[in-house]
Amino acid sequence: MTRNCRVAEFFDGSVEGARTLIELECVWVSLSGQTVLEDISFSLEEKMFLGVVGPNGAGKTTLLRVVLGLLRPGRGTVRVMGMTPAELKHELHHIGYMPQQVIFDPLFPVSVYDVVMMGRACCIGTLRFPKKADKEAVLDSIEMVGLDGLEGRPVGELSGGEQKRAFLARALCRETHILLLDEPTAGLDLPSQQQFMELLVELKERLGLSVIFVSHDVNVLARFADEMVCINRTMHLHGRPQEVLGSEKLKEAYRCEFDFLVGVGGQGPRTGGGD
Amino acid sequence: MLAYGFGQRAMVGGLIIAATCSFISFFVIVRRLAFVGMGISHAAFGGVAIGIVAGVNPILTAGGFCVLIAGGIGWFSRKGRLHEDTVIGILFASAMAFGVLLVSLAHTYNLDLMSYLFGSILAMSWTDVVILAVLSALVVAFLVLFFKELIFFAFDEETATASGVPVRFVYYGLLIAMAVTVVVSIKLVGIILVSALLVMPGATGLQLTRNYRGVIVISLFAAVTAVVAGLFLSSGFDIASGATIVLVLFAEFVLSVAFSPRRPYVAKLFGKGQG
Repeated sequence: MTRNCRVAEFFDGSVEGARTLIELECVWVSLSGQTVLEDISFSLEEKMFLGVVGPNGAGKTTLLRVVLGLLRPGRGTVRVMGMTPAELKHELHHIGYMPQQVIFDPLFPVSVYDVVMMGRACCIGTLRFPKKADKEAVLDSIEMVGLDGLEGRPVGELSGGEQKRAFLARALCRETHILLLDEPTAGLDLPSQQQFMELLVELKERLGLSVIFVSHDVNVLARFADEMVCINRTMHLHGRPQEVLGSEKLKEAYRCEFDFLVGVGGQGPRTGGGD
Repeated sequence: MLAYGFGQRAMVGGLIIAATCSFISFFVIVRRLAFVGMGISHAAFGGVAIGIVAGVNPILTAGGFCVLIAGGIGWFSRKGRLHEDTVIGILFASAMAFGVLLVSLAHTYNLDLMSYLFGSILAMSWTDVVILAVLSALVVAFLVLFFKELIFFAFDEETATASGVPVRFVYYGLLIAMAVTVVVSIKLVGIILVSALLVMPGATGLQLTRNYRGVIVISLFAAVTAVVAGLFLSSGFDIASGATIVLVLFAEFVLSVAFSPRRPYVAKLFGKGQG
């Protein structure tokens, strides 16, 4: 298993608790001649839940693409589990990714099982076929997100919340250390949002995952994140949710008032959805 | 008809083509490449014209030309930021115009040309059958070996990219496999009708089941029965074989629509609410 060497080295060579899984330093990204991200620096410590907030078009998705190595920064350095983006290319099966919206044909003839098995593709490897262990891993992931019993259901027939959970299972169905989630609760009603977030936090604890959760919804993240970063092209804030929420800079980033958030902080209600 | 050598060659060749087309048809349907198939097959006219005018085996020139056009469709639509259908509209008309120009420059009205437009399965030699078998085997091998990557790419390209699936290779590979399939199928039904073989078997399968394995099996069954029935009907009634095969496929498709489990009356008949 030479493929896992770099990641194994990373986890053996550093002390638990002090591992920095993702490190971005002074990252600048331009797309079609336009600067999308400007001087971004932050790090993700092991087992941390980092919320990235910012208005639409702030460059949040771009940031995730930089972490994944799909976009190379014009300036600055990116290290993920100690690897450069070029090295990471062969270790992407340690990262679970959930894109903003999976735009798929609802008639696409795949079941929940098939979709989750897709997540396993990078573990199985090119020119290889799924083995028993892969099949078990798929069923485990489906069970973890509470979709057991629905594995044979065509994914187009699931409700919005169930689909999100299927995609979460797909992101977990590998040797996941890091979970990158891009607006995973977008389009869900409040109870489904709540349910998804609680499931996510539970799985994060159970599997010891480190999470970057991107959202434009400060409210949702303030309740669940350990730390928050607020970006709008450039970094406006980095701190604990309470610090971020109370800051004038948040208004600056969003260019609007955030009075309705006062008092939510990190201790906000975890149930109900009527606030 | 199987008593004659030409009949046997037609049947063997036809069955190989049916198997290849039905398999790739699945990806044509789920990835919505029907128009790409149309584009490639019509562009083959340009390639055939080159062969006829230059005195080279038109299948070889058409093969090269189709692969080029398929690559062109992919390249232009990825790099030129144009929609696939726009690029196809441009390339296939230009390639056909080029073919017409070449033929008119050569000042020969070639009867041979008609056989490429409408197919000439009964005129196949054993060498043709062997070439066809080898090319089909290459296409099927590609589809089998990269199946999990292809299905991931077809379902959700963004996550496939983020998971380290070589999407560019898979995309171009699929386009080239389509080009090769088109070229080997020209003998059976001709340039004008070949796109039917790329679309109808998969479309028939998708009407009857929501499981990709089932879709592929039904697609294979539809294509094989259409070729067998088409060849027997055409020899029995002395009618054009290519057109007969396509019309049998169409009849199968109509039946699949009528008996699709998604039709309320079919669902009622079998006592189930969903297909």
